Amino acid sequence: MIKIDNVSMKFNLGIEKDFSMKQAFINLFTKKSKRKKDEFWALKDVKLHIKQGEVVGLIGSNGAGKSTLLKVVSGVMKPTKGKVEVHGVISPMIELGAGFDGDLTARENIYLNGAILGYSKKFIDEKFDEIVEFSELRDFLEVPVKNFSSGMTAKLAFSIATIVNPEILIVDEILSVGDIKFQEKSKHKMMEMIKGGTTVLYVSHSLESIKDLCTKVVWLEHGKVIKIGDTKEVCDEYYKEQMK
Amino acid sequence: MIKVKAILGNFKRYWFLMTQLISRDFKVKYKRSVLGILWSLLNPILTMAVMAIVFSQMFRFKVEGVNYIVYLMTGIIMFNYFSAASNAGMTSVVENFTLINKVYIPKYIFPVAKCLFVGIDFLLTLIPWLAIIGLSYFGLGQYTCHFNIYFLILPYIFFCMFLFTVGMSLLLSCLSVFLRDVWHIYGIVLTLWNYLTPVFYSIEILPTKLQTLMHFNPMYQFLTAARSIVLYAQRPSFTTLGILGLIGVGMLAIGSLVFRKKQDKFIYYI
Repeated sequence: MIKIDNVSMKFNLGIEKDFSMKQAFINLFTKKSKRKKDEFWALKDVKLHIKQGEVVGLIGSNGAGKSTLLKVVSGVMKPTKGKVEVHGVISPMIELGAGFDGDLTARENIYLNGAILGYSKKFIDEKFDEIVEFSELRDFLEVPVKNFSSGMTAKLAFSIATIVNPEILIVDEILSVGDIKFQEKSKHKMMEMIKGGTTVLYVSHSLESIKDLCTKVVWLEHGKVIKIGDTKEVCDEYYKEQMK
Repeated sequence: MIKVKAILGNFKRYWFLMTQLISRDFKVKYKRSVLGILWSLLNPILTMAVMAIVFSQMFRFKVEGVNYIVYLMTGIIMFNYFSAASNAGMTSVVENFTLINKVYIPKYIFPVAKCLFVGIDFLLTLIPWLAIIGLSYFGLGQYTCHFNIYFLILPYIFFCMFLFTVGMSLLLSCLSVFLRDVWHIYGIVLTLWNYLTPVFYSIEILPTKLQTLMHFNPMYQFLTAARSIVLYAQRPSFTTLGILGLIGVGMLAIGSLVFRKKQDKFIYYI
């Protein structure tokens, strides 16, 4: 389903400053070897095979490369080295609501965001009521999204993103959206999708939800895979390491 | 052939997204304005009126033997389309960075959608433009323009200009990702380009040397072809029409190739 082979990802932190005249001038006087330090490897030689129906949790501290890995899998970024093979339709839920336009109403945003996620018009027409129902925002359909609270925005985005039954679902820390009632509902919805045979890549800092959902856990640190294995085992070890 | 098919298939798949982006632009543009979409019609009419007064009454510009108002308007609507669309296309990739960074979408969609969006505006300006041509029968301007069979070639000319504009937008949007200065530079270039294109003057007032150079200005070619139909009721030669096609397709090819080659790097630079 998803094959990640020896993937490395390099960022050049110096790009921002290298691009001004000032920096170009300074660079004239500094040695090349000194400048190279700005390279940053967000992923180093990551190898990971995920079979269909597996629910894989990604854990690790901030900046460990979890989100980068998700972006590589979803095709937003091309790896510097290595190869990623994905079979199946991906539904990315990386940061909800990225595709919203604040000036448009909720109704208009459902269509816009749906299109961004690759849905067809017919599909959205059919599922429109279901989306609205799930988001609990029927009374606010004609309100511009910029007037929504962050919870409301997240609810709407979650409802749009989960309306499909994708073969592969990529989730970045979203189960904590909305009020308690909606959290329960969204968790339930996720469970349903997982039971339906969807392959899931799930990033979260909540070990609770990882333990609840995942069949396998990958622990990343500084771009490297520290450990892959049984959910409980890896989570416990990770927790111990963090609390040291 | 297979490649072309793949590209077209890709286009079809993202067509709905394209229409959504265009309709978003429309909605945002006219949010909270009383007249709404009417502005798309009103704006060019009023601009045309202002330009017509400025150039034909104040500066007393004239082009021998033709209806100057129609001459001017044809130049303005075509050049305005090019400048507005290429400008909007240029900034579109950087402006949609939040999306590009989160979801996989083919990036060429943004500049192309902008060119189409401005294109709709362009089509709307054709209505007052045709009205002006019609009014020339009733004494607007010195000479009468005649609707003729060659008007049917105009869509082809406009389409070539559209392809040229899309190519330009792809190239500029790609360059501006790596060098934001392009935005500022292109603003100046457009102003210069506008004056170097015979929008409100006739090429005959230029020295002969410049007249020859002018043939290398793609916008001059588009304008002249359209004007020969509208003002002189003459069909542009097949060579000219062929050249227009080549300019359009050529620019599109250059733009797409550069864009395609560099698009995977965008994400590091925005």
